Amino acid sequence: MNELEPDTHEEPYDFMHTEHGGIGKYLAVFVALCVLTGASFFTYSSYWPFGKHVAWAFMMAVSCTKAMLVVMFFMHLLWEANWKWVFTVPASCMSIFLVLMLVPDIGMRQNNGYGWYSFDRLKYTAAPLSEEEKGKLKKDIEEDIGQEQKPLVSPTH
Amino acid sequence: MFKYHPALPIPNGKTCVWLFLSTEIMFFAGLIGTYIVLRFGSTAWPTPHSVHLSEPIGAFNTFVLICSSVSIVLSLEAARKNRATEAKGWMFLTLLLGSSFLGVKAYEYNAKFSHNIYPWYPHSPVYEKADLQYSAAVRMRLGELRVETQQRMADDAKNDRLGEEEKARLQKEGEARLAVISNISGDLVEPAEKEMRNNPDSPEGLILLAKLANAVYHPHDPHNAPHASADVAPGNSPVQFASFQAEGAESEHEEGLNDRYPWLKLPIMIPGGGLWASTYFLLTGFHALHVVVGLIVFVIVLTLTLDSTKAGLIENVGLYWHFVDIVWIFLFPLLYLF
Repeated sequence: MNELEPDTHEEPYDFMHTEHGGIGKYLAVFVALCVLTGASFFTYSSYWPFGKHVAWAFMMAVSCTKAMLVVMFFMHLLWEANWKWVFTVPASCMSIFLVLMLVPDIGMRQNNGYGWYSFDRLKYTAAPLSEEEKGKLKKDIEEDIGQEQKPLVSPTH
Repeated sequence: MFKYHPALPIPNGKTCVWLFLSTEIMFFAGLIGTYIVLRFGSTAWPTPHSVHLSEPIGAFNTFVLICSSVSIVLSLEAARKNRATEAKGWMFLTLLLGSSFLGVKAYEYNAKFSHNIYPWYPHSPVYEKADLQYSAAVRMRLGELRVETQQRMADDAKNDRLGEEEKARLQKEGEARLAVISNISGDLVEPAEKEMRNNPDSPEGLILLAKLANAVYHPHDPHNAPHASADVAPGNSPVQFASFQAEGAESEHEEGLNDRYPWLKLPIMIPGGGLWASTYFLLTGFHALHVVVGLIVFVIVLTLTLDSTKAGLIENVGLYWHFVDIVWIFLFPLLYLF
């Protein structure tokens, strides 16, 4: 046989036919998914004892767990070889970093506890400023410029 | 002797599907990331109640998709064991579950459309603030309605095919509509605009504009009701009465003018509503498109005999369908529960 001919008598994909716990495992994952869906719904009901932010973190954690269960068991990645990292890691990196990088720019453009980000954006928000917020803003601008800010246009709004 | 070793220990088809899925992950990450950033960066966001978003329906949809994921995995297992009819049965169940997901989605979309919440112009008259542009839009819509109603009344009067009784009934209907239009105009729109013209940006003017917005679309949130207009007593006109009708009662859905008179379709004010509509329809729309593609593929695969030679095909289709399920697993809490 020519050295360079592919050896077509071999079955390179033998290991795919092995049983990995069978139907029972899939049904267990199904039950777990239903329970987790119920759990995330529970945070929304009035019985949730913690605050809003804990509820959000919990819901994201539940979503990630459910996604991991589907990816590992239904999509079979738990038993696949190292190529799974090549496909999943770069895509996940992009997802996480994209969101993280947009958070300071857009996610925190309003009152975020660290200060006002952009006066122009603030002017056109849906909610009106309180007197205290307006005073704070004026002070910030005056500090930045080092002199009293005179309005360029007569204040009609 | 050199043996041919494939670069990856999986068939080419599977490699391609995984590459496609990683691009899809990035695609949806872009959309979902946009939603997360915009939603948490905005000062006002509508409550689910005010945009007719029902969490139990979302949970039901999640359950349906989870079941369909299980059924397609069982189809794959059956195909691997060379049980073609069983595989076909599970695949058909997956198709049914996917279709029911789309059906529920259509019902949900209808709930939004029937309250005049659309993704973007020109259909969507969702304003984020009750300001002068909003009142101008309401005034223009009322003007349109007035002209339309008068035109129709004139046409009906001239229509020889209608009987006398029918004509009288239609005339009365038309007149009742015109009365409602002039009531809204006189009680809500004109006072607000007059006040804003006389005292620009006065608190009284803004309150009157808010009253107008509240009367048109009353998104009463039972947990956290802003009773801004509670100090104003209900007047005699049916228009004012409509907005106070269920004030104080924990009713399921407060009646605004748009609900009481469905032909009105006045512009509505929902804080954060425009952005909400855009992101909601974008995310669920793209997801629904992916579901549709999946269902088309199921239909095609169902025409084949699903024996063990087709196990690879079913596995690849299953991978795509599981991905669709995962996207929905993330969308459900983000859109419905946050």
